[in-house]
Amino acid sequence: MNHDIDIKKVRINCYRQSKVAGEFMLQLRVPGALIDAKHLSMVQEICERWGNGTFHMGTRQTLNIPGIKYEYIDEVNKFIKGYIHDVDIEMCDVDMESNDAGYPTIGARNIISCIGNAHCIKGNINTYKLARKIERLVFPSHYHIKVAVAGCPNDCAKANFNDFGIMGVHKQVYDIDRCIGCGSCVEACEHHATGVLSLNANGKIDKDTCCCVGCGECSLICPTGAWSRGKQLYRVTLGGRTGKQNPRSGKLFLNWVTEDVVLGMFANWQKFSAWALDYKPEYLHGGHLIDRVGYKEFVKHIFEGVEFNPEAKMADDIYWAENEQRGNMHVMPLSQHKFAGPTEERGYSFAKK
Amino acid sequence: MGYKVSFEEANKIFAKLQDEYEIWAPKRFVGRGRYSDTDMIKYDKVNTVEEIEYKEKSDFPAKEVLTPITESLFYFTEDEFIESKATKKKLLIFMRPCDIHAQHHQEKIYLSNGDFTDMYYKRMNEKVKIVMMECTTGWDTCFCVSMGTNKSEDYSMAVRFGEGELTLDVKDADFAPYFEGQASADFKPDYVKENELHVEIPEIPNKDVLLKLKSHPMWNEYNKRCISCGACTIACSTCTCFTTTDIVYNENGSVGERKRTSASCQIKGFTDMAGGMSFRNTAGERMRYKVLHKFHDYKARFKDYHMCVGCGRCIDRCPEYISIAATVDKMAKAIDEIVAEEK
Repeated sequence: MNHDIDIKKVRINCYRQSKVAGEFMLQLRVPGALIDAKHLSMVQEICERWGNGTFHMGTRQTLNIPGIKYEYIDEVNKFIKGYIHDVDIEMCDVDMESNDAGYPTIGARNIISCIGNAHCIKGNINTYKLARKIERLVFPSHYHIKVAVAGCPNDCAKANFNDFGIMGVHKQVYDIDRCIGCGSCVEACEHHATGVLSLNANGKIDKDTCCCVGCGECSLICPTGAWSRGKQLYRVTLGGRTGKQNPRSGKLFLNWVTEDVVLGMFANWQKFSAWALDYKPEYLHGGHLIDRVGYKEFVKHIFEGVEFNPEAKMADDIYWAENEQRGNMHVMPLSQHKFAGPTEERGYSFAKK
Repeated sequence: MGYKVSFEEANKIFAKLQDEYEIWAPKRFVGRGRYSDTDMIKYDKVNTVEEIEYKEKSDFPAKEVLTPITESLFYFTEDEFIESKATKKKLLIFMRPCDIHAQHHQEKIYLSNGDFTDMYYKRMNEKVKIVMMECTTGWDTCFCVSMGTNKSEDYSMAVRFGEGELTLDVKDADFAPYFEGQASADFKPDYVKENELHVEIPEIPNKDVLLKLKSHPMWNEYNKRCISCGACTIACSTCTCFTTTDIVYNENGSVGERKRTSASCQIKGFTDMAGGMSFRNTAGERMRYKVLHKFHDYKARFKDYHMCVGCGRCIDRCPEYISIAATVDKMAKAIDEIVAEEK
């Protein structure tokens, strides 16, 4: 079949090229990963009318519809006008036009969230509400950025592998008079978190405040409410990414910051990206811009006009450890391994030819 | 006498009362619940009617006013000791009927069990005046009707919370002067006549059945389900167990303070003894101990009523969804089984 398709243009509309010639996969945004269930029937309809009848759960929590033929894209874009309006314009209050042209850009990727405290007993924050506020600040923009919001530092949302990873935390409050010294918080902290609690000789709790991650395991297990959640704050990791070249986990960037600081930072993202790229958007992820600019310079831009709360902590500098994929010299054929111990005790081998 | 007063008038009365009384009532602590963005409702001193959380059941019982979770008993130096001071003012406590009954159950333990009077309890108990919060529906975890604690006459005042106004039945002559000039109203508090939850408390016919029940496999379920956190006993309106701790101020240990702190039979280590002995080493055994205490042993000892008042706070607070009502049902089945085998 003779195709003449500007694939990059289609990609900007959130249609991904298929290995089947002339077919594309639409990725519908779900900022914060929570929408009214009524939209699901619309998704099913697209899959069945224009797609190949299958549906894929996007790895960034988009609703993916594979197998859409190029010639149907205009029709599908008209059909998803209501969805974009409901989800981005209404739900997230994004400043954009509602039209028949589909998504205006792929730049800022869908904001991933775990279910957060709308459901999860461990969640410290309402993740989807924060994600919707961030969506409004980073979308629509051709500047690429990957953000994930996790309800707690357990990070089921894998915020650590995003340019910006937001995690909900609390400064836990201890009411010594309600404490019965049962030690269950000590056990919970040791088992699930960083082990910063200990039971003292008076039958009360001592805390090593340096290393508390603010997860709330102590408040969750406390039978008396001696531990409870105080101020709702955020922990932010920076510069995480996946990729073939230099995948890496994010590093702790901000701790104990308020929502105002988080949103103030995202409000500067587009301006920073434009400056870093000399006002010419490129298909380049946010982390790379931070690498190019350098951490100290990045911080100057991203926090312009932002006022930090008194508890806030920020990384003075960050030294990322890259996992450079060309290295990996320790991975080699078994025949080249230098084994220790008796050969017959080795539990694995290459299949015999 | 019955009165109807606006919140505004009631607050003026509160202000006058506070010369003589501390006013305690269930109060909402926003964001302080077990899960994030949930609240905690516990007893605290209040200054105004608006501070009282009367629409929801409190997470923690009224007993905390008389026996706070941690309490200083006395201070010692070398060969002397000084008692801690109890509050100087009298205590005006807003309670529901279940909590009023619970207080009577607690009095039995603190004031007359084994002919011993706990003076720290007595000195608080003597100061108490009760304002009964009218409770007409309860909640889905309440079973006060089953336990006979849905109604109480033991109050100085009873109150119905209305939209911006209180209706009161003032029985205690001490309080009459505070209401002089207020509009009178014909009011007797109503009470819960039926709960969603019914609990049939089984009779244990003899000691043989009791012994067989103790080793019945029904308790094994809790070895897996119960995490032994003790939240049920802290939330319990009637539990009284405590432990004492001497906090010493210096190395020689002769100067310090004795505190008592609520303890829980559900927590591992509750029965630890000098020499390393301990009893009820599984969660199931601890559960059995608690359930039999609340629904058999207490009544067997005092010959009047069961210890549990059916407030259901243990059900509300259990993080593992263990229901005491369901447990009693299971126990009743186990008893039937044992009795049937014996015949």
